[in-house]
Amino acid sequence: MIVVMFLTWYERKVLARIQLRIGPLYAGGPGGILQPIADGVKLIFKEVMIPYKANKPLFIWIPLALVFLAAVPFAVIPFGQNWVIANLDVGLVFVFAMTSLFPSMILIFAWASNSKYPFLGGLRSLFQQVAYEIPMWISALSVVLLAGSLNLVDIVNAQQKIWFVVPAFLSFVVFFIAVMAELERLPFDLPEAEPELVAGWFTESSGALYMVIFLALYMKLYLMSSLVTVLFLGGWQGPAFLPQPVWFIMKTLVVATFIIIPRGVYPRLRVDMLIKIGWTRLLIIAIANVFLTVLMLNSGILSPWGL
Amino acid sequence: MDLGIPPDVPFIILATVTIVGAILALQAKELIYGAISLAISFIGIAGFFVFLDAPYLAMLQIAVYVGAVVVLILFTIMLVRREVVEETTEHEEGGESSMGLWIAGLLAVSIAGVAALAGPNLPQTVQPANLPISELGPVLAISYPVPLIILALLLSAALLGALVLAKLERGQ
Amino acid sequence: MVALSSYIIVSAALLGIGIYGLTVKKNAMRLLFAIEIIVNAANLNFAAFTRYMSPPQVSGQVIVFYSIAAAAMEAAVGLALILVAFRLNGSIDVRKLNKLKG
Repeated sequence: MIVVMFLTWYERKVLARIQLRIGPLYAGGPGGILQPIADGVKLIFKEVMIPYKANKPLFIWIPLALVFLAAVPFAVIPFGQNWVIANLDVGLVFVFAMTSLFPSMILIFAWASNSKYPFLGGLRSLFQQVAYEIPMWISALSVVLLAGSLNLVDIVNAQQKIWFVVPAFLSFVVFFIAVMAELERLPFDLPEAEPELVAGWFTESSGALYMVIFLALYMKLYLMSSLVTVLFLGGWQGPAFLPQPVWFIMKTLVVATFIIIPRGVYPRLRVDMLIKIGWTRLLIIAIANVFLTVLMLNSGILSPWGL
Repeated sequence: MDLGIPPDVPFIILATVTIVGAILALQAKELIYGAISLAISFIGIAGFFVFLDAPYLAMLQIAVYVGAVVVLILFTIMLVRREVVEETTEHEEGGESSMGLWIAGLLAVSIAGVAALAGPNLPQTVQPANLPISELGPVLAISYPVPLIILALLLSAALLGALVLAKLERGQ
Repeated sequence: MVALSSYIIVSAALLGIGIYGLTVKKNAMRLLFAIEIIVNAANLNFAAFTRYMSPPQVSGQVIVFYSIAAAAMEAAVGLALILVAFRLNGSIDVRKLNKLKG
């Protein structure tokens, strides 16, 4: 929770710097750090309007389920050598399964709003997320090949000699792009296109509902960033003068920054271009990278680093 | 009827969720509620897989069934909406409904009865299982390569078939 | 630890529910639900039996893996068929879908 609040403040600051503004300064405290609390208070007090023919129980339950889904995979991500809640042997597949539940909940939610614009936004979001899941997990597959295990702690341990971002650079790039697309951040922002569809699939949620969905989105951001850190950047490894979880959080923040920055920089991609890139280019690069990884492993180029 | 070791509470809860989910999936008035309860039933089956020391299968079940099949179902429901709402208020003719119920009921009860009666003869306890994931891969690829290749061919065929069907209805 | 017979009873119950759905319902989507329920019942059965063998084997899980994949494919094709039938006939009541032509 705290992380999410921090992240929202952080994002607005970073965005503002890029856009040559100062950013939220007014909410008091050092540098406007109380802004997220102000946001939260405002959103709680806003009236929760439910559209006329919308499906009430679904409307309320699904955002809660979304937040739950976004929080659950954190149980398998290791913050340190022994700082993991559940050391599942199939940790990576667990995260995969949980993230593949997102599109269906978004679809139900978009349909439950019973009005055109959220539904269209929901469909687009569904296409986008489903399309980019596959390159994401195939590029994660090359990491699994390098590490030899699906267990997230083992994957981090296998990076002791060299971080996976170096041998698997292409899959790092693919994974990063796919993560940006999954989270619906610019330049893949179409479901949330502000001038076009107001706010995409969550147009109709206001007040507390919006806050809950907001929470879920930012938690997903943090989850994906920490996944990038674990898979490619060596997890919690760093010189021993700082405790391990601190290294992990620092690295994750760096990744999150790189995800947030393009939002202020790049123009938006059109939806059909978006889907085409996902299914054709990214997928081919990801599969090619798996082959490359197998070649590298077999030819023994990587043996100096114990792979 | 001797069930041997009686099922413990988590098992009963999971069984209830799964079975009730399946019944609701067929009986719910709105198709969308039916699809959601089908998803819940699938998650229940995934829970059973976890009980049976098959975590990989459980995750696969969630990822494939709930993540993909349910999405497809929801998609189709949303594209077929108008007519469907009228169809769901069904009144099955008496003969059809009761005959179906009899057949299904007799089958289920007979299987369950055999299982319960043979209860003491079936394995009661399990040997500590050592089913690591790393063994699944070699078995798939080395011991049973032919089904793997057939599966890949089937997948491509299904994909092509779905594409052709989509073209067909677009061309009407 | 639960006895094997409990798993079989659950699987049989699901099978019964699926067959009931398949024989009685006239909405094509519900028939598809019923088919998926039956396949899941069979998967549960396989997984239970493979666990309770002595010694437990991993090849039973391979069977379930194939079964999940095959059933997902079949659901996709079935849904595509339902869509086409709907477009052509305007209804997904299986009692009305009785013309082979058009």
